[in-house]
Formats: sequence, C-alpha cells, structure tokens
Amino acid sequence: MENEYYPWGGEFTVCSPNGCVAVVILNVNYSPFDKVAIYGPLKTENIGIEKIVANVISNPHIRYIVVCGDDIRGHRSGSSLVALNKNGIDEQHRIIDAPGAIPYIENLNNEAIDRFRKQIEIVNLIGVNNKSDIDKAIEDCIVKSPSSFGEPYIAIRITPEAAIILDDKRALHSKIVMNYMGKVKKRGE
Amino acid sequence: MFSFTKEQEILDISGIKIGGQPGLYPTVLFGGLFFKGEPDFDSGKKQLQNMLDLSKKTGNPAIPDFFIRKEDYVEDIINFIEKTVPKNHPFSIDIIEPSLKVKTLEYLDEKKLLSRTIYNSIHVGIKDEERKALKKHTPEMAIIVAFNPRDKSPDGKIEVLQNGANLTDTGLLDIAKKLGIKKILVDTAAMAPGDNSGASIAAIPVIKEEYGLPTGCAIHNVVEKSKWLDNFKSARKPVDASSNINIPLFGGDFAIFGPMIHADMVFPIIAWQDILISEYTENYFGIVPDDSHPRRKLF
Repeated sequence: MENEYYPWGGEFTVCSPNGCVAVVILNVNYSPFDKVAIYGPLKTENIGIEKIVANVISNPHIRYIVVCGDDIRGHRSGSSLVALNKNGIDEQHRIIDAPGAIPYIENLNNEAIDRFRKQIEIVNLIGVNNKSDIDKAIEDCIVKSPSSFGEPYIAIRITPEAAIILDDKRALHSKIVMNYMGKVKKRGE
Repeated sequence: MFSFTKEQEILDISGIKIGGQPGLYPTVLFGGLFFKGEPDFDSGKKQLQNMLDLSKKTGNPAIPDFFIRKEDYVEDIINFIEKTVPKNHPFSIDIIEPSLKVKTLEYLDEKKLLSRTIYNSIHVGIKDEERKALKKHTPEMAIIVAFNPRDKSPDGKIEVLQNGANLTDTGLLDIAKKLGIKKILVDTAAMAPGDNSGASIAAIPVIKEEYGLPTGCAIHNVVEKSKWLDNFKSARKPVDASSNINIPLFGGDFAIFGPMIHADMVFPIIAWQDILISEYTENYFGIVPDDSHPRRKLF
C-alpha cells in the first residue's frame, strides 16, 4: 500500500509515508535515515526529474526535497531540478535556465508543475557530500513539521498490467511491413 | 533477420565500412574508454590493444570511444589518441558538456585529427556554440541520437530526425547536413528499463527503411541502468554484453557496447551473431558477405 503514494515506479526507497522530506541523491554515496518519506538517485535532467515531480506531488506530506551530492556531469540534473522549482518551464516545455543538456518536461502537464512548485521547497545541497551535513539539513526540515499540502495529485500513473491487444496486427511498426522471409518495405509502397 | 527495400548507405571512415544490407559488413563495435578521475593511460593502452586484437581475430571493426568529462583532460586524452590509436584508425569522442565539446573540436582540428573523428553526438540539446564549433571544425562523421523526450517510440525518434519535434528549429538530420557533416550514423537512443527501452531496437529497421542510414544504439545502457540485475551479480556482465545481439538481429550496423573492458565478451558474441545472420541473408537475400566479415574469418 505504501507505494500507492508513488505512481511512477523507479529506483527509489520508500520510508516513512508521512515524512515531509524527499531526498534526491546525486553523485554521492549516501543513504538517509528512515524518517524521510522517500529517497533515490537522480540521473537525467528530463525523465528523471519528471519521475521525481510525479512521485512527490502524489504524496502531500512531502514539503521538502533535499538535493545532495555533486551534480551529474553534463546532465546537471540536480541543478535542473532546482531550476524547475524556481522558474518552471517555458512554452517549449524546457526548464527555464536549466543548465542540463536536454532539460525538457514532456510527460507532465502545467498544473502538475505548478503544484510541484507550490508544494515543494528545495534544500539545495548540491556539492555537499558530507553525511552529517546532509543529515542535519534533513533534521532541520523535519523539525519544522510542516502541514500536509492537502489531497494527493496524481499526474501520471504508470502501473504494469498484463494485457494482450490483438486488434492491431501491424507487423513490426506502422511505417514498415515485412514479408515472411524478412524483407522490409515501407507500408503502402 | 531483415533485408531492406530502401537503398542502404555504406559509409567509410578510414577504411572501416558501416552500413548496408544486413549480412554484408560486420557489425562495428564502439568500446568506451572511461577514466575515473585522472586518466590512467597505461591501462587505456592495454585495453585498446586488446580490443584491436579481438577485432583482428573476429573481423568486427573496433572503434574506441573516448569519454571526456573535464576540461583539464581534453588535451591529454587527445594527445593519447594521437599517440596510441593506430595511424588512420577512426575513433569517437563522447562528451556531454557543451563547452568541452567546443574545446575538444578545436584541439582535434589543431592536431589534424578531424578526418578520423566520429562526433558522439548531436541531439536535441544542441546549442549555438556547439553548432558554430561544428561548422568551423567539422568532424568526418557524426552520430545523431534520436532521443525525443516527448515520444520515445520509433515514431518519436523519426520525428526528431525529420523535423526536430519542436525541440530544435529543424530536423536533426538537416542540422547535421547544414553543419557540413556528410557522414551520419543514427543512434536510436536506448532508454532506461521501464521507459520503452525496447523501442530503441524496434526503431532500427524503421529508421533504416526510412532513411537508409547506418543505424545502431547503445543498448547496453539499458542493462547498465538496471537495479534489478543487482540481484544477479554474476549475470550482469553477460547480460550487458549479450544485449548487443539485438542490434544486428534487427538489421543494425553498429553497437556502442559500453566499457572497453567488456570487449573480450562482446566481440565473440557479436561475431557469432553476424555469422548466424549472414548464413540466412546470403541464402535468402543473396547478400554475400564482405571479405572482412566474421563468417569469412572463422569458417
């Protein structure tokens, strides 16, 4: 049941369901104590960030994200997450002023982004690798004991479901067809 | 195992052929040289030599792929390439930071190495400074990564190649051509497990039939990103290496197979797969393999 709060599966660890802190671990070997709500790594500045957003706004108890460790070289995903929280996205869905290579948010609507920016305060510990410093920042958030943001917001739900869809009999792909021996040609030619 | 109706481009870089109908040329294998922190060139040299020996034995061309992550190492790594990679042998450079890309292109030009350079890679995140640098210091060949954050299906991948999917002013193929890059490889952008990772394989025949361009991907990235595989520690390397067989099986031309230290496993696996494919494509499609093909080497 605890994963009900987190609609987009991934490599995260769920701890206290009513915790107010989510921890984003960049390039650092660190695991937080179990009073946090959820923690996990962030690698990419697009889908990785989308997953985090979806999985924190679905748990209204989470009010802080502590981002720690050295940023991911090139991707700059930690700084891009901070930029999303601070600036939002432009009309092209690009995170405004994000330093990452491809910082686009494509699978979440504007309402979800707004909700993320309102619900979450980011504690920017990018570049901080020391366990006690990170622990302390998390404790400081917990001590504030913020109230819940209200109802969960489910921006996207990606749950596996076994299904066989037999009404689509296209071989390989809509753009190509293949004969029984493996000769490929464009569909319709 | 496929054969394509669309005419397939065969590209040549320093004598290595990439592309064509499945079964004609061996799968080209890009092995990465990563340096954690200070580059260890002694180990790099050994790994490179081992990969080149394996290439000789199997027939599968080997292209070293150099990761450059820090400005301080740009010159050192390029000097290493100049000194250690055999004369006229191609290599690729894999850089994420835009500013490093510019510096690397400048230095490759200064060293007169651009005719052997495969630029890895152009994608929708291309910046103006990168475009300017590519126009001024144009590499012989470039890999275009068909990553579309909006749509990870084969259709989405075609969209970024064709029109940029509103992420770039025009399609990535057009951008590369306008920059003066004449030889283009398409990387179908392998995604993380759970994120339509299979689409990078399914997209190979679609893109080859659409454009006729040499196509491949770094499918091993999917395995590398799997946390689930931590439960099967001894299987990780074999799963990683063998994931590459999907590329030639679906008609692909090259595999960016990850760390060069995996070469011992990857080269025989892919050579074997190339033989299997060639035996079919010769019998059914009349594709007689090139003399360099593993089928000619091992039988």
